Formats: sequence, C-alpha cells, structure tokens
Amino acid sequence: MSPDPAWGAEGAWPQAPASGRRPRAFPKRSLALALVLLGALQFGQGAWIQAKAWVAQALIAQAWARTLMGEAHAKPWPWADTWPVARLRVPALGIERYVLAGADGSALAFGPGHLVGTPAPGDAGNSVVGGHRDTHLAFLKDVKPGDLIEIQRADGRSVAYRVIETLVLDKRDMWVAKQEGPTRLTLVTCYPFDALRAGGPQRYVVFAFELENRGGERGMRG
Amino acid sequence: MTPSELPARSTRSVALDLLSFLALAAAVALATAAVLTAGVLLLAGRAQAAEPGALLIRSLDGRALANAPLLATDVSFRVSGMVARAHVVQSFRNPSSDWVEGVYVFPLPEDAAVDRLTMRVGERVIEGQIQERQAAQRTYARARAAGQKSALMDQERPNIFTSRIANIAPHESVAVEIEYQQTLRYEGGRYSMRFPMVVGPRYIPGVLRVSAQEGHGWSPGTDQVPDAARVTPPVLRPAAGRINPVRIRVTLDAGVPIADIASPYHEILVSSPSANRREILLGSATTPADRDFELSWAPLGAQAPQLAWFTEEKSGRHYGLLVLLPPSASPATRLPRDVVFVLDTSGSMAGSSIQQAKDALHTALARLSPGDQFNVIEFNSSAQALHPRAVPVSPASVRRAVEWVQGLQARGGTEMAAALSLALDGEDDPRRVRQVVFLTDGSVGNEEALFRLIRARLGGTRLFTVGIGSAPNSHFMTKAAQLGRGAFTFIGRIDEVQQKMAALFAKLESPVLKGVELVWPDGVQAESWPSRLPDLYAGEPLVVAAALSRLQGELRVRGSRDGRLWEAQVPLASSAQGSGMGTLWARSKVGGLMDSLREGAEEGPVRAEVIDLALVHRLVTRYTSFVAVDWTPARPRDADLKVAAVPTNLPDGWEYDKVFGELPQGSTDSRFAMLVGALLLLFGWIVARSSRPRRLA
Repeated sequence: MSPDPAWGAEGAWPQAPASGRRPRAFPKRSLALALVLLGALQFGQGAWIQAKAWVAQALIAQAWARTLMGEAHAKPWPWADTWPVARLRVPALGIERYVLAGADGSALAFGPGHLVGTPAPGDAGNSVVGGHRDTHLAFLKDVKPGDLIEIQRADGRSVAYRVIETLVLDKRDMWVAKQEGPTRLTLVTCYPFDALRAGGPQRYVVFAFELENRGGERGMRG
Repeated sequence: MTPSELPARSTRSVALDLLSFLALAAAVALATAAVLTAGVLLLAGRAQAAEPGALLIRSLDGRALANAPLLATDVSFRVSGMVARAHVVQSFRNPSSDWVEGVYVFPLPEDAAVDRLTMRVGERVIEGQIQERQAAQRTYARARAAGQKSALMDQERPNIFTSRIANIAPHESVAVEIEYQQTLRYEGGRYSMRFPMVVGPRYIPGVLRVSAQEGHGWSPGTDQVPDAARVTPPVLRPAAGRINPVRIRVTLDAGVPIADIASPYHEILVSSPSANRREILLGSATTPADRDFELSWAPLGAQAPQLAWFTEEKSGRHYGLLVLLPPSASPATRLPRDVVFVLDTSGSMAGSSIQQAKDALHTALARLSPGDQFNVIEFNSSAQALHPRAVPVSPASVRRAVEWVQGLQARGGTEMAAALSLALDGEDDPRRVRQVVFLTDGSVGNEEALFRLIRARLGGTRLFTVGIGSAPNSHFMTKAAQLGRGAFTFIGRIDEVQQKMAALFAKLESPVLKGVELVWPDGVQAESWPSRLPDLYAGEPLVVAAALSRLQGELRVRGSRDGRLWEAQVPLASSAQGSGMGTLWARSKVGGLMDSLREGAEEGPVRAEVIDLALVHRLVTRYTSFVAVDWTPARPRDADLKVAAVPTNLPDGWEYDKVFGELPQGSTDSRFAMLVGALLLLFGWIVARSSRPRRLA
C-alpha cells in the first residue's frame, strides 16, 4: 500500500524536539503516552471493526443452523434486528459467508447483506447482495468468471451459480438491481479493494447466473 | 549528545525494543478490540428489517430522454363562488426525427370531475369521447396502429391520470386539453384550492411479479400493487435540470369582497379589477412542475358565509351544492385524550419534508396537556414505537420524545401497513378520546389496501392526517382522514407548521358535530352524496351534492354536539344559480359508489352503475376513459412508432438518492484506523525512546 504524500508532512513532526538543547523528559513522556493511547485507540477501533465482523459470522452460523431447523428470522443474538437469509460458498476459494437481511450499514457490519426488494438469494430473479470489500467480500477480488458460487436457501436447498462477469461501476448504477433477465446473483462491494478510506463512489460488481439444471420448474421473470 | 549519535547504538537492541513495544501495543489494541466488540454487539445499531418491498430501482439519465416528448403545461382556472373550473393544456413537442407515442402520468386534485378532453393538432381540434375504459383503450390502440393521431386519458387513482398521444410526427407539437370541475375547500373562514403538478415517486410494497398490466413506470407490478408500472413515471435526476414548465392563470370571482389572497408556495402577480374579483398569474414563466400550487383567500370581515346553496336545472332535474358551516362551540366537559403520533421516516421524506414533519411533531408534543397520554411511532421499512404503551404527559416524557424524534433519520421503504396496525389497536374506551395523528407524504402505491386496514382496525380511534412536503398524495390524506373519521391538513413549508398545527389541535380539542343527517321536505325526491355524512370538526363546513325533483320546502340539517341537538333550515327555493352542479353531483356519487366497494359491495353492479353515470355526465372514472381520434392517417406505413414515457421532476425538496437508492456501501474505515493507529504507536515509541536518559558512547 503506497503512502499518501500527506504522510510526509505529518511524519516529520515528531522529530522536531530531538534537536538542540537537552529536552526536558516530562513533556516528552506525556506526549509519548498520549500518542500511544491515541494509537491504541485508533488501532483498536480498526481491529474492532474486523473483530466484530468475524465474531458475528460465528454467531450467525449458529443462527443459520436454527434457520435450517425451521426457525423463521432466527436472530444471531437476542437484540439483533437482522437475520441470516442464505449461506454463500465459493468452493474454489474455500469461502463460506452468511448473508444477512438488509444491505444497510448496520447489517453489513456483521455480514454480507441482501438488498431489500430483490428476491432472496436462491429465488428466481436477480438477488443482490452487498458487503464490505475489506471484510466479508474481500474475496471478490479473487473471483473470476467461470467460478462456482453455491447458495444454500433457508429451506436447505442449494442453488449453484456460475460467475459470468465482473465490472467496476458507479454507486448510482442501480440498473444492476433490475429484475429483467435470467435468475442470477449480483454481488456488490466497494472498489478499489485496497483503498484506505470508506465511502468512495466506485463499486465492484460480480454477476453470477444460475446453472441451468432446474430451469423447468421455475417461472421466468418479466 | 546529538541526534547523529543515535545510529551508533546497536541496531539489534533498537529492533528488539521496537518489537517488544509493538507486541505490547498490539496486545493492548486487541484487548480494546475485544472489549469494544462486546460493546458493539450490545449497542448494535438498528438494522432495517428486511420485509418484502420493491426497491425503487429504475433511474433515468440524459440518454434515455432522447425520444421523450417535451412537455409544457398551461392551466387556467375560472373560480366563481364555491366552484372552480380548470382548463389544462398539455403540449407535447416531439424533438426527435422519429414518430413518437408519448405517455404522461400526471396528478389532478383527488375530487376533480374531468368532463372534457380535446386534442389539438395545429388548427384542427378533435373532441374526445367518453367510453368504457377497455373500449377506449381498444379504440386508441386501433387508431395508433393505423397511424392516426389519437389521445387517450385514463384514471389510475382518483388523483393520478395517464394521457397517451400516439403518432406525433417528427418535430411536431400536439396538445391535449383537459377540463375539470372542482368544489373549493372552505375551512376556518378561508377558501382554498390546490393544483398538484407532479406525482411523487411512490413506494411500491409487495413481491415483484410478472407484470399483469402494461406500463412504462420504473417499478414492475407487485402482488400488492399490480398496476405499479402505471403510477411510477420515470423521474429525472435533479442534477439534469428541471423540466415540464407550467403556467397558471386564475380568474377569481368570489362573489363577496376579498380581504387577502395568498399563494404559499409560488410567487404570484395579482391584479384587482374590482373588490370581488382578482386576476392571478404565476410570477415566473418557467415554473417547473415540481410541487403543488395552492391559492387561498379570505372574504372581507363579517362576510364569511355560514350557508351557500347553488342549484342548476338540467334535463328536468335540479342539481344542487350545499355548503353549510355550523357555528363552533367550546366543550362542556373535556375527556382525557390518548394521542398517538405516527411519523413517516421513509426515504421520500428525506430533505425538507422530514424537517417539516419533525417541527410539526415538536409543536404538537408541546401542546399536550397533563392528564393526557401519548406515544410516538416512526416507520420506514418497519415500524417502531417509542413506548410499548401510551405514557402520561410530563415534562420528562415530552423531552424524551422530542430527543428521540430529533435523532430519527429518513431512509428506507414506506411500509405503512405496519405503522397503521401498530397505531390502530381497534380498542374503544368511552372514558378516553383516542386520536392518531399521522404525519406523512403518503407516497405509496397501495392506498386501497391501507384504506381497508384503517376501516377494519379503527374502532373508537380517530385518525388525523398531516400531508407533508411539496407533493403529498392528496388522495391518501383525504380518504384516510374520511375513513378514520378525523380531519386532514397539509404542510408544505416549515413556516406553515405553527399555524397549521394550531388549527389541527383546535380540531382535536373541540367537540365534534356528530350524527349529521338531512331531512328533505315531503314531496321532494332527493338523492344526496356523500350518503353517510362525516363528523364535522371546528371550522369545517358540511358539503353535500344533491339531485332533486323540485326546489320546494325546507331542508332540515340535524346533528348533535356534546349531547346537545343542533339544527339548521335551508329553504330550497332560495338558491343561487350555479353551473356544473350536475357534474359535481355525479362525481360525488361516483366517489360514494367507489367507497361502497370497500364496504363489501360487489364490483359488477357498482361498475355498471359508475359507467352509466359517467357516460351520461361525461366523466373520467376508474371504469371510463376519454379517447380522441383524428381519422386522417398521419404516419406512413413504413415508419416505426417509438413509445416514450414523459419524465417528471423529483418533487421540490426531495433527495434523489434517498428515494431511488444507491448500491450498498461496501467498505469500512478499519484499515485506515489500523494504519493511523500503527503510525501513532510508532511515533509514540520514537518519542518515548528519545526522552529516555542515555549513556554517552
């Protein structure tokens, strides 16, 4: 990851007291302490985002097991207001993720989220799933056309998809959520993958079409 | 000692030092992370519950506009007394070199009686015919296929209409002229009329399904809104500019001297030919169709009428319009009240609407009295209440509610049924007055299902609607209030909040005139609408349209307020001459018949009756449409016809991205935070090292 030029200026700042007269120890110590505390807090905040992302997936795995047993809207923790709607696997990459209901920030913190208003993953139509490029959907950068994606639905049935295309788009390209066309899975994450800050306008979109082994039993979508 | 001496120290000890320090820092950081993780799971923000609901997913950029006809609207009103007649000219200009069919979805007042349509091509004027809806659509389709110029006007909702114009030649202009008649609103001594200009993007709940009905909207049909594609015209991004200019001219003859005249949302130019008359023009010639136009005026001083009775004779029948304002009274006994406020926090409310709604709610909370109870419910994709049950009014509980409301954000869907079910519990406690105040823009496509819900669950509760924003769904506001046996008001600007909420609270607090009934004199056969008269709140008049065999004797109007009888007499013969009273009566009757469907009437007979009535009075209804065909073939056989939906503006003050959504944000700041944290730790280490006393080499 290449350092931003702005870091040069900030990096120069702490060295200034080291020149000239003998510095007094006390202010330096408190400065060091402040920097360490601030650093630990910042680092902790970042680590916490990662930690809760992965701890939550473990809790959600249990909720998914309950879902498969027939519990509707099984909540991963009692006060959660989202619940797993599907399990997503990419066998080639050894990836397993639990998809949550809702693709807004508060659900995405814990797992990839299913965009409200699109069919549930595994149902006929275009199911859209969003997720963070630096946590649950980081693996998308390794996904290539031809890869298989497996969705397990809440009723236990599995549906297989094949990746057709990956595209870099703008966040306003809502056409990717349109329902016309074949049954498919549309995975959306932020782009570029190694950007430091959140909130850029670009999106990385993976299109995967349902394998045509069950075409007969499902209705076509307008 | 100088900094240059530093490198003399063993690199190995420095590296060790750094490593042990980083290990310690990492341990601290991980511990912090663990604690924070536990914390965040506890404090996890509310995720939007993912109930089924169609996202608003089709948007429009400049390219899609290439074929769309350009629209300009010219409206002139003639207002006399209680009645307004509007003449709306929609001019479609085809900017492309193709033959085009334009489809335009537009709003009209929810009680508009549309009784005339003409199509104007250059100097030629073709009069539209009223036909049963399917027949009109077939007539239009045949003409369209034959290359003949034709126009069709359907009703989708009482306040949403579609006009279609087929075979507009390249670079040609065609105008559709519509006329409608409307009763003015008269309340609190002021007359007002609204002219809506844009259909705000509606939230379409339900599960998407193969569209049963064709249409050109951005939403396909769902199980709850099968005709979604017909009520969701494409919306232009505000960044692409404002389109669809509107000009308005009003010729007002109030019949009495006018004290003041106001247009709260648009600049107007007013001239006064006489004390009773005004000529009003919109101040700007390039006003975009992006918000309701409202005009209101008050008669001078004590001229505010208590009674108006207009009649018109048409083919042996007398049609009349009665407007009667009962005197207001103060309550004898005041029962304690339970007030439930319901606040719409969906994406369509984002921007100025949510500010107006919050402000209105704060005003309302401040007006509650000790002894009353209240609760607040907010809803978007799901509904949640501040308290499980209504709580007593106290400074602390009101403060808590104000803070809670202040923190709410407008985003997500409009699952109104959930909120209504929560607010209307169907209970009826005679010792308390239970009132629900519903603040919303009403931007939903499933009005009918909601009306049925209100009807089923109302119980003893009264429902009051507050239409918020620049383009509220007036059909929803008025019908929900009618079925909820409450009243409605509109707030379109933040500075109207105080006055409008004060008026609403006056209604909430004053006794109601209930059980209003009409006793027609013997020997007069009368059919009046609405068939069941509403309860009347302070400042509201009784408005009745009637068809009579003769004008003779005295009509008696009765009701009861606070257990006391109130009665008024209207001598039928002492009527003023009105025009278009038959049309108003027929429109009123159509409204009553459509209402009866909700009460379990069978659709077949109702449909037949509405069609009969509409064909006689030439009205556009759910079952009848206007069609106009110019029989001269225009489009050559070998030229294609392109269909283009006329785009509309986003209503003024709305936020596009909150309504039409964006792809989910797929990243966090975790790496950035970790990098900054690591750098800070590194600097901390450097500073700590340099402050340590060192031996000279």
